[in-house]
Amino acid sequence: MKKFLAILLVITAVACKKQIALKPIVALNSYLVVDGSINVGDSSIIALSHTVNIAGKARSNPEVNATVTIESSGGSSYPLVSKNNGNYVSAALNLSVTQNYRLKIVTGDGKQYASDFVPVKNSPAIDSLGYAVKTEGLQINVNTHDAANNTHYYRWDYVDTYQVRSQYESKLIVVNGDTSAFRTAEQQIYNCWLNDTSGTINLGSSAKLAKDVISNQAIALILPTSEKLRIGISILVKQHALTSDAFNYFDLLQKNSDQVGGVFDAQPSELTGNIHCLTNPAEPVIGYITAGAVAKARLFVDNENLPGTWLPDLSYYDGCSLITELYDYVPPMSGIVEHQVREYVYTGIETPVDTVLNPKLGVISARPRCVDCTLRGTSKKPSFWK
Amino acid sequence: MKKNYLIIIILLAVKLAHGQGGAKNISVNFQQATVDQFVADLEAKSGYRIYYDRAQFDSLKITLQVSDQPLDNVLNLAFHNTVYHYAIVASKMQVFLTREKEIFTQPAPGYFNVKPGQSRPAAPPPVIDFTTAPVKKQIIESTVENKLYEVGIKTNDIKSGKANISGYVKSAKSGGAIAGASIYVSNTSIGVTTDQFGYYTLALPRGKQFLIIKGIGMKDAHRQVMLYTNGELNIELQDQVTTLKEVKISADKVANVRSTEMAVSRLDIKSIKQVPAVFGEADVLRIVLTLPGVQTVGEATTGFNVRGGAADQNLILLDDKTIYNPAHFFGFFSAFNPDIVKGIELYKSTIPEKFGGRLSSVLEVTDREGNKKNFAGSAGIGLLTSRLNIEGPIVKDKTSFIFGGRTSYSDWLLKLLPEEYKHSHASFYDLNLDISHQVDKDNNIYITTYLSNDNFRLNSDTTYSYSNKNANIKWKHNFSTKLYSLLSVGYDGYKYDISSSANPVNAYKLKFGINQTNLKADFTYYLNRNNTFNFGLSSIYYKLNPGSETPNSASSLIVPDKVANEQALESALYLGDKFDITPDFTISAGIRYSLYNYLGAQTIRNYAPGLPRTALNVVDSTTYGNGKVIKTYSRPEIRVSARYNIDDDLSLKASYNTLAQYIHQLSNTTAISPIDIYKLSDPNIKPQYGSQVSFGVFKNAKQNTIETSVEVYYKRIDNYLDYKSGATLVMSHAIEQEVLNTQGKAYGVEFSVRKTTGKLNGWINYTYSRTFLKQDDATAGQLINGGAYYPANYDKPHSFNFTGNYRITHRYSVSLDVTYSTGRPITLPIAKYFSNGAERVFYSDRNEYRIPDYFRSDFSINIDGNHKVHQKFHNSWTVGVYNLTGRQNAYSTFFQEQGGSINSYQLSIFAKPIPFINYNIRF
Repeated sequence: MKKFLAILLVITAVACKKQIALKPIVALNSYLVVDGSINVGDSSIIALSHTVNIAGKARSNPEVNATVTIESSGGSSYPLVSKNNGNYVSAALNLSVTQNYRLKIVTGDGKQYASDFVPVKNSPAIDSLGYAVKTEGLQINVNTHDAANNTHYYRWDYVDTYQVRSQYESKLIVVNGDTSAFRTAEQQIYNCWLNDTSGTINLGSSAKLAKDVISNQAIALILPTSEKLRIGISILVKQHALTSDAFNYFDLLQKNSDQVGGVFDAQPSELTGNIHCLTNPAEPVIGYITAGAVAKARLFVDNENLPGTWLPDLSYYDGCSLITELYDYVPPMSGIVEHQVREYVYTGIETPVDTVLNPKLGVISARPRCVDCTLRGTSKKPSFWK
Repeated sequence: MKKNYLIIIILLAVKLAHGQGGAKNISVNFQQATVDQFVADLEAKSGYRIYYDRAQFDSLKITLQVSDQPLDNVLNLAFHNTVYHYAIVASKMQVFLTREKEIFTQPAPGYFNVKPGQSRPAAPPPVIDFTTAPVKKQIIESTVENKLYEVGIKTNDIKSGKANISGYVKSAKSGGAIAGASIYVSNTSIGVTTDQFGYYTLALPRGKQFLIIKGIGMKDAHRQVMLYTNGELNIELQDQVTTLKEVKISADKVANVRSTEMAVSRLDIKSIKQVPAVFGEADVLRIVLTLPGVQTVGEATTGFNVRGGAADQNLILLDDKTIYNPAHFFGFFSAFNPDIVKGIELYKSTIPEKFGGRLSSVLEVTDREGNKKNFAGSAGIGLLTSRLNIEGPIVKDKTSFIFGGRTSYSDWLLKLLPEEYKHSHASFYDLNLDISHQVDKDNNIYITTYLSNDNFRLNSDTTYSYSNKNANIKWKHNFSTKLYSLLSVGYDGYKYDISSSANPVNAYKLKFGINQTNLKADFTYYLNRNNTFNFGLSSIYYKLNPGSETPNSASSLIVPDKVANEQALESALYLGDKFDITPDFTISAGIRYSLYNYLGAQTIRNYAPGLPRTALNVVDSTTYGNGKVIKTYSRPEIRVSARYNIDDDLSLKASYNTLAQYIHQLSNTTAISPIDIYKLSDPNIKPQYGSQVSFGVFKNAKQNTIETSVEVYYKRIDNYLDYKSGATLVMSHAIEQEVLNTQGKAYGVEFSVRKTTGKLNGWINYTYSRTFLKQDDATAGQLINGGAYYPANYDKPHSFNFTGNYRITHRYSVSLDVTYSTGRPITLPIAKYFSNGAERVFYSDRNEYRIPDYFRSDFSINIDGNHKVHQKFHNSWTVGVYNLTGRQNAYSTFFQEQGGSINSYQLSIFAKPIPFINYNIRF
């Protein structure tokens, strides 16, 4: 329905979407948020937090003192270990498809929560991943099918890894804070790899099709100006099989997050997940627990395969310039010797790039963010790269 | 010899009586002369004595240069195209100047037969009664005011008692019927309003009567009648050529206080055209929004809410054809062609018993009848649309047609857009063709048809199209002056389809359609002066295609899916009486018995009793055969209103109405969208019932030129459908699992002041109103807001509107429209959290907060071409600005997660001043 709005916007050229200041709305209560799923054949990670004030700076308020367990309908129980950041991790569990499972939580303030018992629904394998060059950006597509015609509802999320390159390639490294040496290949800070996770909810359904087939379902769109496409990007796609109820929940969550407010968009609606507060049944709990094995596949897209007109937005490097710092600098007026390299480079204020023409005189340096990509990611090339 | 010639000329002049005379040639030269200067000069030069009323001529300024012309030519030139008339009595060397009324210097034919002063003989001779009269009845066409028309079978004496007079009120210029004209006897409360065909019947004391006729957009007129027995009198009214008093609003001046109807707004197309419209084209629906008690959820929708009712609770009729989607272009244009429309009537509280099937209001849009005398037409050119209208006689004075068409050509604009949208396409058109035929004096046939189509395609994406199709044949038959009938048969259809072929595997075509065939018989019977009965029956056969989805390409894997067609029959019988108990106290009471049958073939899911209607609680299903009655609902509907006149210009009115609605529009979006679906009531979805009680005080001031009113109402609505959170409505095979029955209540008070005449005219309305819904039945599934009352989407407590027009000269007028209302309710996020890779929001209770208040002002200048009546083309310009202050009215406020953070946005439509220009031509 967004399309209608788009055309109205365009035809009249008078509609406008304006960012406005948030109204100070303060929620009276803070509600428990449960994020994650029960994984089969792998460890399960459950993140617990509380809702926070919409106008506040805090992103979330993790619950660190909870006791979390996975329970089976047969009575077995599997504990999760707190990582003290709101995340709770289980061992790799081989859960049975013949049983139903639920999550049980006791928060630090003693309140008890439990999800409904959910069936184990394992995802079929991802048949292939592909990409398409669109005017609006790089679109990542997924293809899958279930020969048993049994899955029908899918959700995808992904972790993308992309390579960045510093503005200047540093050949020098500061050793012990008082001298510099040439970098080895292991010490390079010119090429790095960054990770990012999907922030959107991608759902697919084949319920209406004669066969359980998902064909070229778009799950990600990367803008042509994204720095992610400067050199190359590798995407790890995880495919979850959902029950129809879970699908409806995520569909609502997506609608509430992405599609609200347009002229013809649905109104935001109450989200009712499958987790309940046992202590106070009237208290809303946010989240939906599913169980099942996840299918994974990886796709690499090289910048060479993308249009040459797509130029990355490198505003991260705005203001970068090379500076010449001398070991002993005598300003013409004062005559007092300044030890520029010691003051600016050895202290870390600047990062050395190279020696000046006569190495004995000084070094060329720049601000760390222009040179050191490890400030953003890792300089170790991931094993799956290319 | 010379003298003899002069005498002959004078004699000729007297013979021709009107507009002749003044044998002596004169020369004049006036520059902005007042009437006094004009008269003094003419008297001096011609030797005639000129009589006039100075007060009537105070606004007259004469600029004229003539040499050596007879007096009548000079007067002709001076008064041409004005409301002023003259009459020359050459024999007495006198000239009479009048305003609006013409003096005829010859007595009206038959005038001297009446002998009004004669005393009545003791025993009146027997008079042949009309019912046995061997004489062929004749219909008198009355065009002249000062003539005495004799109605009925003439006798040399007049019986005592009453007789009926009936006939049509027509436009003298086009022959078209004038609906809603009031005819009343001066200084009494005897009066009647013409129906949609311009027909009236009035019971009057026999003898000489003075009738006053007022029609919207027509000159006020009067007729002198000598009523002998029952008879017929057609009345032709002159168009208001001068535009001095153009905005004629409403339930006409007298009717405002005198009629029993409450909360009926009548607007003619002239007043509709005065109000600035967004692209310069007069918009029938937009003006409805300026009336008290009418709300809209925002711009870009022509759905409207009347007194706290939902948008689907309005019955929108175009000449008795039900229009399901009254909007083009997602509401930027209304579906009604302003060149064809004659006027609109909106019934908000006293809904006549002949209407039914919707809870909130009836909006009647009436098309003009084609010109029965001459071919005529008009055309308009705007930035995005153009329109053309042609009308004329097929058989002069008997059969006429009117055709209107509109089309858009916005594609040129789309071509100018960035690549992204270049291949988009958006267009609409609509066509009207109406034929009216007079078979004989007692039989008229009216055929009206309407077709509209909208089509959208966005770049390589989905194509949307929707279309209204309507046709209707009406036969009006007069049995006698006391009884007439109206029989109508019609078809109304609405459909949309959505198709996409972007992805061959998922390529689909989705269709929805609603078809209704209806049959109606309405009778009006004038029993006597105190009682007018309306009765009739109607039946609507619905056939719905609630949705079908088919593959749209050979490689598409879409499984053809179809929601089973629905059939139903909605019938009604009604009887109503308008009873004048005393001249000051009138009651209209009616009952409508509606009967609804949901018909097979259909499979109905049976749910476990006492459990929510969800897929889990389906026990089994029952399949019914074709035409089988599955479920019957019926309800007596009461329509009562009363009026008590305290004095001539102050009256009290009260009304009580109950209504039933068997068809539901389902939408979980804020605006009415063209792809909303309709659902018929079935065993699992109950009909909506509503009742309303209202009370009003009506006061006219300054010779009925200022109308004021205060009305209060309280309303209850049962079984209004609100959606469950996140309902999917399109292609749902079990709609009852997606919706909830809610109970609604609404109340409000409306204040209105209107000035209908003068250079400055218009209206000011203020409304305070509230509308609430609740869903407190735990067994129905989810409670909304814990079962408490929550404000409906269109609950806007304060609403103020000013619509004014100021006529600077006859050619220039300016209009200003100011609207203020409380922002509509919205569900806002109240907390945020991090989940599934992004920050997300937690929403408040449904409709707990409001968007900012709405304010808009529009301004337009209307420039008419010259006012010469007899020219081939009349043209006019409308130039204006929509949203003069450029206020960025929030359509909605919302929060969107983008790049992992939550930002709040306000969406505005028409967020800056929009200038527009429109050129119209009439021929």
